[in-house]
Formats: sequence, structure tokens, C-alpha cells
Amino acid sequence: MTRIDTIAATSTAPGPGAVAVLRMSGNAAHAIASGLIESGGLPGAGRSAVRWLRDPARGERLDQAVVTVYAGPRSYTGEDLVELSGHGGPLAPQLLLEACLAGGARLAEPGEFTRRAYLNGKLDLVQAEAVLDLVEGRSPALHRAALNHLDRRLSMRLTDLRARVVGLEALLVQHIDFPDEDEPPVPLERIIDAGAAVVADLEQLLATAPEGELLRDGAVTVLAGPPNSGKSTLFNALLGAERAIVTPVPGTTRDAIEARVAIGGYPFLLVDTAGIRSEADEVERMGIEVAERYLAGADLILLCMDPEDGVHDIALTDLVGSISAPVIPLLTKSDLRQSSGRSLPALAGLDGVLPPIDVSAHTGHGLDELVAALPRLVFSGLVTASADVVLLTRRRHRHGVNTALAEVRAFGQALADGVPAEVASTHLRPAETALEGLLGVIQQDEVLDAVFREFCIGK
Amino acid sequence: MRSRYDVIVVGAGHAGTEAAAASARLGASTLLLTPDLARTGQMSCNPAIGGVAKGVVAREVDALGGIMGRATDASRIHFRMLNRSRGPAVWGPRAQCDRGLYPRAVRRLLDGTEGLDLFQDLVTELLPADAGLHGVRTRGGIEFEAGAVVVTAGTFLRGRIHVGGAAGVAAGRAGEAPSLELAEALEARGLEVRRFKTGTPPRVDGRTVDFTRVEEQPGDPVNFRFSYYHEEPALEQRPCWITWTGAELNQVVHRNLERSALYGGEISGRGPRYCPSIEDKIVRFPEARRHQVFLEPEGLETSELYVNGLSTSLPHEVQLEFLRTVPGLEEVRMTKAGYAIEYDFFPPHQLRHTLEVRGLRGLFFAGQINGTTGYEEAAGQGLVAGANAALRVQDRDPWVLGRDQAYIGVMIDDLVTKGVDEPYRLFTSRAEFRLLLRQDNADRRLGVMARDLGLLTSEQAGALDRRLGRVRRVTRWFQETALRPEDVRATLAEADSSAVTTSTRAGELLKRPGVSARALAEAGGAPFLGSEDSGLEDVLAAVEVELKYEGYVRREAERAEVLKEQAAFELAEDLPYADFKSLSFEAREKLGRIRPGSLAQAGRIPGVSPADLQNLVMEVRRLAAAGV
Ligand SMILES: Cc1cc2nc3c(=O)[nH]c(=O)nc-3n(C[C@H](O)[C@H](O)[C@H](O)COP(=O)(O)OP(=O)(O)OC[C@H]3O[C@@H](n4cnc5c(N)ncnc54)[C@H](O)[C@@H]3O)c2cc1C
Ligand SMILES: Nc1nc2c(ncn2[C@@H]2O[C@H](COP(=O)(O)OP(=O)(O)OP(=O)(O)O)[C@@H](O)[C@H]2O)c(=O)[nH]1
Ligand SMILES: [Mg+2]
Repeated sequence: MTRIDTIAATSTAPGPGAVAVLRMSGNAAHAIASGLIESGGLPGAGRSAVRWLRDPARGERLDQAVVTVYAGPRSYTGEDLVELSGHGGPLAPQLLLEACLAGGARLAEPGEFTRRAYLNGKLDLVQAEAVLDLVEGRSPALHRAALNHLDRRLSMRLTDLRARVVGLEALLVQHIDFPDEDEPPVPLERIIDAGAAVVADLEQLLATAPEGELLRDGAVTVLAGPPNSGKSTLFNALLGAERAIVTPVPGTTRDAIEARVAIGGYPFLLVDTAGIRSEADEVERMGIEVAERYLAGADLILLCMDPEDGVHDIALTDLVGSISAPVIPLLTKSDLRQSSGRSLPALAGLDGVLPPIDVSAHTGHGLDELVAALPRLVFSGLVTASADVVLLTRRRHRHGVNTALAEVRAFGQALADGVPAEVASTHLRPAETALEGLLGVIQQDEVLDAVFREFCIGK
Repeated sequence: MRSRYDVIVVGAGHAGTEAAAASARLGASTLLLTPDLARTGQMSCNPAIGGVAKGVVAREVDALGGIMGRATDASRIHFRMLNRSRGPAVWGPRAQCDRGLYPRAVRRLLDGTEGLDLFQDLVTELLPADAGLHGVRTRGGIEFEAGAVVVTAGTFLRGRIHVGGAAGVAAGRAGEAPSLELAEALEARGLEVRRFKTGTPPRVDGRTVDFTRVEEQPGDPVNFRFSYYHEEPALEQRPCWITWTGAELNQVVHRNLERSALYGGEISGRGPRYCPSIEDKIVRFPEARRHQVFLEPEGLETSELYVNGLSTSLPHEVQLEFLRTVPGLEEVRMTKAGYAIEYDFFPPHQLRHTLEVRGLRGLFFAGQINGTTGYEEAAGQGLVAGANAALRVQDRDPWVLGRDQAYIGVMIDDLVTKGVDEPYRLFTSRAEFRLLLRQDNADRRLGVMARDLGLLTSEQAGALDRRLGRVRRVTRWFQETALRPEDVRATLAEADSSAVTTSTRAGELLKRPGVSARALAEAGGAPFLGSEDSGLEDVLAAVEVELKYEGYVRREAERAEVLKEQAAFELAEDLPYADFKSLSFEAREKLGRIRPGSLAQAGRIPGVSPADLQNLVMEVRRLAAAGV
């Protein structure tokens, strides 16, 4: 067995807490832990026991902890691993960690336990990414997706898709490599159909990418509109915190303010921006430019307007016309007027502009309606899908699946165009490689295995 | 005083004969040792050369100046181009040879090779290498020494033949003694040894076959030669016949299953899945109602037939019983019983790409002892091992074929990188550059390299030049000749392709589905059509693939370039993989065992991931930086 240096880190968040868990992994993990135990010795692999831990150098007691022992490869990292669950708080975990480091362990780099788990084949790349997402845990929806990934649901889909691409090659090769066998060639239609089925599945998977990626990044939702229309007030109301400064003076917000928030269980990145108008001083002008950039990259725009404020600035209408994200006009300060807001003839004809909602950040009127609308607008597919739907949550995923899709599609097209199978099959290896790359695992060449499994070969 | 040579080749099968010839052609004085010179180049099993992928290898051997292609042309009595109904990219030439004439042709070509001595004796000992010289001792007590030794002992190493459930008989092939001492001598050098098995079907007397009850399979009328450089006189051609097994045969086999060496537990070695015994087929595919059987001629002057498809290790009386259930064979007389053979092989991860044994400088292995099966596989390895043995002695650079250059390169890389867990045979699916590695273009892929290395005679080099010139001319004709609409109307109509209204270049029209190169050449009255020889077939096939599927061929070529870049990233043999902690545990372990020569090879090791490769590059760079 090769030398693996031993890493240690406190796995729970620092600060007050009842319990803190220290994790230690590597060849010396058992020995170092054992050196800290006052009496009773290290529990056997797969077991836990309560032990007093002391500083071996000074003999001083450090803490009383539950010691859990794992032996590689049957551990999270695949290496020998020990978990010390001691008391939380500012001091106890730190003392334990220092004792482990003094015993020969080294402080783990961020994510190093998971990295080792990947390198030792305990997790594939998709699972390792999921662990990171779980740790960051931004929203219940991302949490759900990450749990699915950790459970290998995406990995299994990808593995299955790769196996089916290999299967396509096997169907072709059966008669190329074994032309004189009992088995007749596989009909071309069967291969084309099998290819089309793979394409359909890849497409379905790919279709989850836009929303899946937003689950990690958060849907960029920009509050825009004329000065003093109540953007910052609404921003604070949606956050439930006073993040942005609110004054009756138009032009208060000069720079953009970002905040992450889960709305209806889905992650959003709310952005408060400077009010947009044509006559503005230089600082305000710059704020407006920033706002325009955000608008261009937005997933959703909340266009705040106070109907009492009269005519809409012409610059605003132009701007809305030039952006692609959906726009919800919000008629703000509804508490100040009797009837519902007026219709908005200037915006009504524009593409992607949704019916306006009356809101008041002061009374909370209309906010429920808005909060309910937001997830449905950005995550419509996810909101209606079942809880265990498998998602692509990273650009890396999308890129790999997209490459595979393009190749398998080109393969089917080539066959349909009368390109001979052995030529069309040039597309299959790159598709396999793309899917393999997603999992981060190179698999044995199984084309022949697939042939032998299915066909009686051998004259 | 022992006699001294540059290179000694042990064994005169398909690997040994090519090894000896290649070594001698490179100018190394070479000795070929074998226990029975009369069996030089003998075909142990079916007297057939070629097939899909294997046929390409036979032609690669020829392109490299080897003997297999010529010997096949000289002894061929039945020929078919397999996969002719498909595109030329996967055509597989296959010839049935006269069992007696093939070895005679091999012997003639060996005798005509300058610098090559043959000697009949069995090697029993490998003497300890002394000052860079290897020695061998024979059963007759004679010692020879050489700078390099190529061992090609085939199925002979502790070979054991099984017919029926009995314990088996020690043998190298039916009727030939095994090689026991050599096996022990090699094992004593610390090499890992494992066992494989293979089998052969019974032969029958053609005079007792009812040919009215079987289907005749005539050979192809094509004008084809394996050899690119030589023209051997053609022989009279014979047909093959096809018949089928039925339910009755299944019953006979089932009833006697425990008497099969395979199923009686006598044989432990693993056999090839693509060459199963009839026992295997019936057990594994019970739902198959019938199995195809080919009756193939063994020679012009014998009525003996090879019963392809009924390989078995059942007792001979059971063999006769099941043969007689087959239509056409009701009254048949068996001339030889089928049998299974178990033998030693040396897992090939112990070799370098030159087929030199790692850690045993100057010792080379080729053929069946590397875990392969098949004459062509053996020949390809023999040529590479023999040439590298000579290069080693001459202190020249080693010579390695890439996966993008030859099926031989694919095979050797698979062997040393992935190892084998069943007897290894080539298939097109093992190659990632199927469109580049074709039977029509091995001379273009390998000829110039062979010439520069010294593997070609001046006569062969001249023939190569003529062939290369011809491909250029014909390609140019297609690229430059505009065909008039009226000239190609019929050709296009026949291919269900829409007519053209203006003159269009032949190469352009060739891109259309169903339009063949030959049809266009005929329509355009191409000047090169006059001489109808096998070379023309090759050229037309080449043009057809390379122009018709230009985009695909280019893509493969681009992928091959990427591979070459990775291949250029060399990995030293003594890298401390165990210390490369950024690599996965599995990768460290596998890399440490296989010790790849390049990044490209590392990337083909199962268990080594793309992330491992990236980290490997970093580790190697870090190491290099630390070394400065
Ligand atoms: C029963 C049987 C069935 C087979 N079935 C198939 C099949 O179905 N399909 C297929 O593709 N292939 C089959 N083969 C394999 C094919 O015959 C071999 O792959 C091929 O012949 C290998 O070539 P080679 O040069 O490595 O060894 P061989 O052709 O076996 O030649 C080995 C040579 O080494 C010589 N030799 C051995 N020991 C010594 C020594 N100590 N000193 C000097 N000389 C020595 C032998 O006399 C012989 O000349 C079969 C082989 C056998 C025996
Ligand atoms: N009555 C009432 N007043 C509101 C409401 N929302 C905002 N206001 C008031 O409107 C004024 C402007 O509010 P802000 O939130 O600062 O407006 P803004 O759009 O961010 O303004 P700028 O940053 O200057 O562009 C403040 O005096 C708020 O108290 C509302 O729902 N009801
Ligand atoms: Mg504001």
C-alpha cells in the first residue's frame, strides 16, 4: 500500500454548538487517534465508543468524545478514517485539532476529504460536486437535486446512456466483425431507432440544464424602474432585512446591491439597482449603466413603477424593449391609492411583459401573489416535476451532454442519409468519451462484451 | 566455442518465421531454431488466412516486407472479400489455403532471405546473459549465442491436449511434443505465467460427404492479391460448403456434456469467446435452434475438409455421433478428431511496445505466448519483435507502430496496456481509427516507413513507388476531371441519384450515396482503367473511402493527431507513481504496474481517469522542475 499522508479538520462549523466533529483520514489516522485516547484503546473498525482524550505530550485531558473508526476502503474517503465527536464551542475543537496535527496529521485543504473520496473511487465526479452543493446548501430545491446526485441518480443516467452508446456500436459491429455468423445483421431501422431513443433521453436530460444551473447560481432577479418608485423598499421586504437604504429622495440607490434569498424554496439572486431616468448627475449615470448591464444578464425583471408618478420615462420603455428576460411590472405603493393600478399602454404590447401586479411594500399587499409567481416563472419545469427528477446543475454537465447529443444525433442522421454504418460510427466514440468525462471515470472497452452477450458468435 | 549470431529466433510458426525474416532483412545475422523444420510455417488449425481486421494485418505484414501475404497468395485455393456488401473501410480479405502449400511457400521465402540460417532442434535452456549476450542450449546439447533472442513457442509451452473427459496428454499440437524445459526456463527468469486454452474441430473425408444436401459457397471471382509488391501465380480455386446443425446435435451434445474436457472440469484455462466450442454454443445459447457449419477444403490434393463451427473437446466417438446428425454428413468418416489445448502464456503487460521483455534486455516475445490467438496476430508481432531485436543489436532506435498507423499497433498497444483475460484476437472494434486502417492502404500507411527502416528489398521499394504514384494519379483524376451530364446520366440513375445539368467533377459526384468510384471512372473513360489488376481494386477502394467520406476521414485523422500529441508526452519508465498523491489510488497502482511509455498509453489504461491524466502531467512537470 502506498504512503498516504493523513489529513485532519473540524468538519462542523466553528462557533458555539453542542457537538463538533473532527475528521482525520489517511494511513496514520488510526495511530494518531489511538495516541490521544486515555484508556480503553481505539474501537474496532466500524464501531464507536466514548473515550477520554488527552494531550499525549502533557498528559492533560482535552475532551471527552465519541470515537468512531473506519478502515479503508470502507470509509468516506476510502482510506483509514477516524471521527472524533467532541464538545463544540470555541476552544474544545481547536485543542483536539491541534493535538492531531501535533501527532503528525496535516490540516486538510477545503474539500480535500471529498477529493480523496473521488480519487479513491468512492464517489464519481458528479457525486463529489453534489457534496459541495450540499455543504453550500443554498435552497431546498438545490439540496434536493444534490441529494439525488449523491444518490448516483444522475451518474446512473449517464452510465446508462454511455452503455447505450456502446450498445449502438455493438449493434453495428456485430455484423462487421462477424460477417459469417449464424446471426443476420441487425436491421438498420433497429439501430436508427436505438440511436433516436438515446437522442431523446439526452435531450430530456439537457432540457433540465437551464433550470438546474439556476438552482446553483440563483435566478438573477433585477428590481428596476424609475427613481423613487420603491425598489429598495421592496428589495428589503423580499429579503426580510433592511439591506438597502430607503429615502424619499429620488436617486438614493447609486450602485447595484445583490442578495441571495430562497423564495418558495427556490434560490434567487435579488438585485436592487439605481433608478433609471434620462437627466441624472454623473454618479447616478454610472449607477444606471450598472443597472443596464444587470438587466441584460437577468433571468427575471421586476419593473417597479409608482402609477401616481405620472408619465413613464421614455428611456425605460426602450430598455424593456431591448431585453430578453421576462418582465413583471409592479405597480408599487398600492396603499396610497384606492383603485387598482392602471393598464400600461406603453409596455403592454411588448414581448415577455407579464400582467402587472399591484404591490405595497408597506402593507404587504400583493407580495404573496408576487412570491408565488416568482418560482413558477423561472423554475416552471421544476415546480411541476416530481421531487426525484434528475437535473443537470452545472455548465460542465450541460457541455458534456450537449457534445454527446450532437454526436449521437449526427450518427443517426448519417445512417438515415445512407452513410455506411462503419463510417457513421465515427460519431460514437466522441459521444462515449464526453459521457465518461462527466463521470470522470474511464471505463473498459466493452463493445465486444456487448456483442458476445447478445449474439451467438463463433463458427 | 558456441556459434554466434546477432539474433536467434526460437520457433518457426507464424511469429517466428516473420521475426526471423524481418531481423535478417535488417541486416542482422539470424538463426531460426525449431524442432521440426518440415513444419515451418505450419497452420495449426484452419488453413485460412485473413478475415475482418485479420486480413488487414496480413496485408500490413506484407507492406512491411513480411512473408505472410505472399505465402497466402501462393497457396490460396478459395477467396472471399468479407463485408463486400459494406463500404471498403471494413472489407476483410480471407483466403482458404492449401495446408501443404502454405508452409512450402513460407519455407521458399525464408530460404531466399539472405543472412538467415535455419537449424532443427528444440531449445531447452536459456543460458544466463553474459556481457550482453544471450545463449540458448538445445536438446541436442548445442549452444548458440546472440545479442537478442526472440521466443515464439506458440501453444507448445507445457501444452496439454484434451479429447473427452480424460486427464489430457502433454503435446504442443496434435502429434507434436510440448516444450516443457523452455517453459520452466522462462518462468525461472521471474516472469508471470498463466494458462489459456483453445480448440479445433474435427476433419472429415470429403468423399463421404453428400454434397447434394449442403449448400455450395463459391469464392469471389475478384482479382485480389494480399501482396502489394509481388505477384504469385494463382492456383485453381475450390468452393466451400455450408450446412446447419439441428436439434438432434443439441441432444447428442447435451447427453454427453460431462464427457467434454471443458465441462468435465479438466480444463481450467480460459478460452476465446469468439471461438467457442459447440458445447459452449449449445449451453450458452440454448434458444438457438441451429448453428451454421462451414465445410472448408484443406488442400488441392486431398479430399479432407475442415468442419468450421464444430470445435469440441468431446470424446471422438461423440464427435462422430454428432457429426452424423448434420445434413450432408450422415455417412461421414472422420479423419481427425477435434481437441482442446491448454498452454502457458506470459501476460503481456510484462512487455514493452517493442515486445522486449521488461527488465530482460534483449529478450523478445511474439505470438501465442503473449496471449494472442491467430496466425495474423502472431505474424504481426513476430515482425515487430524480430525487427526490434535486430535494431537492439545494431544499437538503433526502437521501432513502434501507433494505433493510428496499423492494426498491429492497436494489438500491441492493447496487449501491453490492457493485458488479456481471454486469448486476444483483432477486431475492427478494437481500433479507434477504423476508417484509416484499411486493407487497401497498408502500403501507403507503412511502406515508406518500412523502406526507410530497411525492411524492404529494392524490388519491393520500387513496387511501392509505383503504387504510391498510381494512387496519386487516380486521386487527381477524380479531383480534377469534370464529367459531362450525358456521360454520367446512366450512372447516377442507377444509384437513384438526381441527374446533373452541368459538367461536375468526378470527386463531387462520388460523394453521393450509391455512386461508386469504378462506375464514375468507367463513365468518364478514365485512362487508368486499362490495367485490371489487384492494385487497381485497392486504389478504387481507397478513393471511394477517402473522397466519399472525406469529412469523416479527416475527423479521424484529427483525433489521431490529438493522440499523437499525447504520445509525444513521454513517461519515463521509473516514475515514482506511488508518490503521485494527486492520482487516484487505482491509477497509481495500475500505472506503477504497467509503466506506460506515454501519456496516450496511460490514458488507455482502464481505471485511469481524465483527471488522473491531468494530474499526472502536473506531477511529472513538478518532478522535472524539482530535478533541475
Ligand atoms: C488446436 C489449436 C486450435 C487453434 N484454433 C485457432 C482458431 O480457431 N482460430 C485462430 O485464429 N487460431 C487458432 N489457433 C491458433 C493459431 O494456430 C496460433 O495462434 C498461431 O499458430 C500462433 O503462431 P505462433 O507463431 O505464435 O505459434 P505456433 O504457430 O504454434 O508456432 C510455434 C513454433 O514454435 C516451435 N517451438 C515450440 N517450442 C520450441 C522450442 N522450445 N524450441 C524451438 N522451437 C519451439 C514449434 O515447433 C512451432 O514451430 C489454434 C491453435 C491450435 C494449436
Ligand atoms: N406608502 C408607501 N410608500 C412607499 C412604498 N414603497 C416605498 N415607499 C416610499 O417611497 C420612497 C422611495 O422609496 P425607495 O425604496 O427608496 O425607492 P427607490 O426606487 O429605491 O428609489 P431610488 O433608489 O432613488 O431609485 C420612500 O420614501 C419610501 O418610504 C410603499 O409600498 N408604500
Ligand atoms: Mg433605491
